[in-house]
Amino acid sequence: MFKVFEKHLFLLGCVCVFVTPISFAQNNLKLKYKKSDVYAGIEVGSKGVKMSLVEISKDGQKNLDFNILKDTSVNTDFISFTQLTFQATLASLTGLYTAALKDYKIAPGKVFTVVSSGVKVQAEKFEKNSWIKNLVDSFKVKIKDPSRQVEVIDVSQEARLSHLGIVPASRRYNTFLIDIGSGNTKGGYFPNGNATDFKLFQLSWGTKSVANATEKRLEDDKTMSNFNKQLYRVLAGSANDEIIYAVNLSGAYNMSDNIAFSGGIAWSIATLINPELIDNPVVPVTYDEVENFYDRIYRNYKSLSGEEIVKTLTDQTLNKTAISKEVKTVNQVFDQQSLLAGTALLLKIMRQFEGIYEKKQFYLVKNGQVGWVSAYVDQTISNQSVAK
Amino acid sequence: MRDSKSSLLLLVSLILFLMSFIILCTWGYNVYYKGKEDKRKTAIAIDDSATISKATKAIANATRDSLQKVYAATVKQLDSKLDSTWNYADSLKGPLDVKLNEFFKLRNEISTILKDKTSNANLGIARQKINELQKKVEELVGRNKDVEQENKRLYAMLKQLSANTNSKEPDQQNIRPVVFENKPAAESTANSNTSNTSGLFIASELRLAALTETDNKEIETSQAMQTDKLVGSFTVKNDNSQNNNAEVMIVVLQPDGKVLQKSSWESGTFSTHEGKKIYSCKMRFDYNKGEVKRLNFSLSGDKYMKGNYVMQVYHNGLLIGKLSKTLS
Repeated sequence: MFKVFEKHLFLLGCVCVFVTPISFAQNNLKLKYKKSDVYAGIEVGSKGVKMSLVEISKDGQKNLDFNILKDTSVNTDFISFTQLTFQATLASLTGLYTAALKDYKIAPGKVFTVVSSGVKVQAEKFEKNSWIKNLVDSFKVKIKDPSRQVEVIDVSQEARLSHLGIVPASRRYNTFLIDIGSGNTKGGYFPNGNATDFKLFQLSWGTKSVANATEKRLEDDKTMSNFNKQLYRVLAGSANDEIIYAVNLSGAYNMSDNIAFSGGIAWSIATLINPELIDNPVVPVTYDEVENFYDRIYRNYKSLSGEEIVKTLTDQTLNKTAISKEVKTVNQVFDQQSLLAGTALLLKIMRQFEGIYEKKQFYLVKNGQVGWVSAYVDQTISNQSVAK
Repeated sequence: MRDSKSSLLLLVSLILFLMSFIILCTWGYNVYYKGKEDKRKTAIAIDDSATISKATKAIANATRDSLQKVYAATVKQLDSKLDSTWNYADSLKGPLDVKLNEFFKLRNEISTILKDKTSNANLGIARQKINELQKKVEELVGRNKDVEQENKRLYAMLKQLSANTNSKEPDQQNIRPVVFENKPAAESTANSNTSNTSGLFIASELRLAALTETDNKEIETSQAMQTDKLVGSFTVKNDNSQNNNAEVMIVVLQPDGKVLQKSSWESGTFSTHEGKKIYSCKMRFDYNKGEVKRLNFSLSGDKYMKGNYVMQVYHNGLLIGKLSKTLS
């Protein structure tokens, strides 16, 4: 009798020990909607592998309502196309896929795996398309699922999906979305009042490429004053011509009331300009606000530290600890020079839409990185239900 | 040999029994004396607590007595202070204040007479005093009407004067018809008022309602649990508007002090004299000088808390209207 009881107790203990971490992981996901499903989007990007756990509202049939539950990334630098980075990418991809299935208990049908346009562009440029194929095949072998779909997305598809995922349906046909990346800028809008026709907008300049071009001009004078001067020259030169040409070609000025910017620099500026709106995924800004912010980075960079920003907050209901933490993260990702370069590029693009008589409403989108994954998930589910 | 073995076993058994007996005795002794000690301690504790409670009661009574004395003295002092303040009040308010003073005095006298149930002879005096009180009330109502009429006359005069100066003196443009908001509480919208800050727009007729949706119909509710959205409206007017486009910010504060935001695409921050504030939504509209414009907005939240919701209307960073609404 005692032995049977002991055995049961032991088994119960074992179950508790193994189940608790999984339950804890699931409970950690704070769901926002009353009726929703949790999906995982795993993306192989230029910098690394990223997994986003997204809660999609079941009520959001017409309007894609999503809530980001978790955003994890592993830097593997796949586009270096070396054996080391290949293995690291494969291990991360497999690891995140397994975590989605086991730790977060998401069904394989709700886990989407894709290769981003950035990887595709680089692979085509260096004739390394076979590396993508090898990665996908090795991944299928590792997870023992030969039927797993790993789609390689192109630039236009990614920009269109980002728009669908980020911009609410009510603003879909009057919003121009621009994603400022590290190496390039892409975006677009829907010119014909339907979600199929998409006008793509592309620039070969991004935050990092502007900063790099400026640094090359610095020579021996590494001061911030010289950086500011050279940055002006970079953006007044070929970058300026390209921006004006691309914006004019897009025809977005006449077709859009709202201009939304996403990407790392949009997140950082939104966080530093409006720390009060820390919980908001989108922050409205004006041209003047961004211009003043540029001046602040250049002249009073110290005022952008977590401690200094928290000091300026007067609203007692704000979570100052969370704000300080987020500001510190921004400062870790972008140093003064990168912040100046990114803000200057943003201002240059904003300037094209800042008319004397007609004012556009500018927005900075913080969660742009998961927008397209969410829309991809939504689109795949819709296609699956149509096929059924 | 066998005998010696059995005697050895017997000895061991005896030793064991003896040891058990000693252990049992020790345990019994401990239990007995521990119980006794506990009882003694409890008794001491009860005695102590009784003594302490007696002492506490005595102290409390003494404190209560002294507090009552202090209270009586303070009330007396406060009364005399109030009376002196009353007497030295603004000379302009003098006659009205004297009348109010007489009214309150009379009211107190009547209530004292009515409280005294022992004598019926005072009832006649009470009736006489009630008649007197009614007269005083009528006088006060008449006085209030006179003040309102005077306010209207002054406002008309100010309007005429400001029209004559015709925007030559910008400061004069900001004169507000605050006198008009001096309405009885029942007539005015719940807790609404028009701020006398120096914004160019005048906000009035502020309204904030909670709606619940049932069978595709929207019904007003006062229950937080049933609320699906908050709808608000107000009227703006500007006699000196220079621009055709105007912008006002709506801030709806929840009972916890946080701003209820329409959506992250529609909410943002703006600068005020008190610092940066979050707005619930922004309203841009076309405006013609002197036009009376009614503006409506709605806010949908996931959950509504019980308590007081405060709606604020800002123009150019200045508060031009405020209203509160309670959800139970």
